[in-house]
Amino acid sequence: MWLWFSKLGSPKWFYELSGKWLPWLAAGMSLLLIVGIIWALLFVPPDYQQGDTIRIMYVHVPFASISLAFFPLMAVAGTITLVWRMKLADMVAKTAAPLGAWFTALALASGSIWGSDIWGTWWIWDGRLTSMLLQFFLLVGVISLRSALEDADAAAKACALLSIVGCINVFVIKYSVDWWNTLHQPSGSFSLSDEAPNPPEVWVPLVIMIVAVYLFFVVSLILSTRNEILERERRSQWVQELIGAN
Amino acid sequence: MTAQTVTTFQAFKATLKRDLLIAYKRKNDMVNPFMFFLIVASLFPIGISPDPDRLAEIASGVLWISALLASLLAMDNLFRSDYEDGSLEQLLLSPHPLYFLVLAKNISHWLVSGLPVALVSPLVAYMLNLPGESYFTLFITLLIGTPVLSLLGSIGVALTVGLGSRGLILAVITLPMSVPVLIAGTLTVQQTLNGASLAGYLAILAAMLFAAVSFAPLASAAALRISVK
Repeated sequence: MWLWFSKLGSPKWFYELSGKWLPWLAAGMSLLLIVGIIWALLFVPPDYQQGDTIRIMYVHVPFASISLAFFPLMAVAGTITLVWRMKLADMVAKTAAPLGAWFTALALASGSIWGSDIWGTWWIWDGRLTSMLLQFFLLVGVISLRSALEDADAAAKACALLSIVGCINVFVIKYSVDWWNTLHQPSGSFSLSDEAPNPPEVWVPLVIMIVAVYLFFVVSLILSTRNEILERERRSQWVQELIGAN
Repeated sequence: MTAQTVTTFQAFKATLKRDLLIAYKRKNDMVNPFMFFLIVASLFPIGISPDPDRLAEIASGVLWISALLASLLAMDNLFRSDYEDGSLEQLLLSPHPLYFLVLAKNISHWLVSGLPVALVSPLVAYMLNLPGESYFTLFITLLIGTPVLSLLGSIGVALTVGLGSRGLILAVITLPMSVPVLIAGTLTVQQTLNGASLAGYLAILAAMLFAAVSFAPLASAAALRISVK
């Protein structure tokens, strides 16, 4: 277990292993994305209330659900950075912050387009929208702290600490904002029975899209982490050899 | 060790006393947050509307946002000069738990920046036509809420103390974190206007204060150890 753990911390090991995984992950992602998008856009029956607008859900819900994962991810990576000084954890945390900001922005944008049709407005100060917006601000704070600190080691630790504090804060913000104002529909429940409000032909493509977007997230995270590894380890022998070989 | 061993409580008191003394000697630093609060609060009637009814609606939010901005502005004094003259390093080298020393600095900072704002808030509330029965609630919420703002802000200051120009980055980090306090504070004041019971709302604010006192100085202390080398 501990051998595995210390191996995981080695950027070189991660680079090689992720290189082997990447084609499979990318293939799975493309397959699910194509199936999910075609199914959602062409074959899902229009909603009895929202009509074709419901198809936005197949983009919005996956992005919104994954953008909630970023602060916990960064907090865990930050804890590993602070406790075990693992370089790889910091590389993941560093690349996760801008990705998280993008995913959050996309969730907000797709939600806003959806809202413009069914709520009749592009933006309202509703609990979920506001807490998403504040999460976006917090992520921007982490990114700007990272870019402001020049010393890479200090930046890693400072961002790790800020991510942990931010993660706690995201939960507090979530609850306080819900308490403040709530209009957003609660997450629906899905069931296999046909009489349920959300029959399988509605939610199966949604699950496919969620898995596809999660894979998209994993693939982008791995790609940008590999980039970061090469940049930080550019003076090490194995990177030199890799560059020389190509 | 000689007989001159200092207990942690003595170190706590000494830090508090030193910071208050420094603040007293630099009266500008004491007056500025307070003046800033007054000026920001008086910009709202000019910018939005002098109509008393509209002002009454927004007064609690205006006062809370002004207090939040004033606290943010005053943050710069918290560790900056200590960092520049090296006394912050001495603080980090001290054998006493950094938690208490940071807490002492936060308390003295709140005494010179947050407390005056809370004290003058009923006056500004009157000028903004906030209904009379909520003056006291406003005062209490600011009294409980401004220390939370100081404690949260201190984490951001500690993270950025080594940076040359950090005005905006401090705001970007700190302001979103202060939202729960802002919500709890303004909701409590509005609750008075509805005539409902305040106990639950004040309890939530107080819970925030206790959580912040317990954990924020720990985070600030860890951040200081990262920033100061």
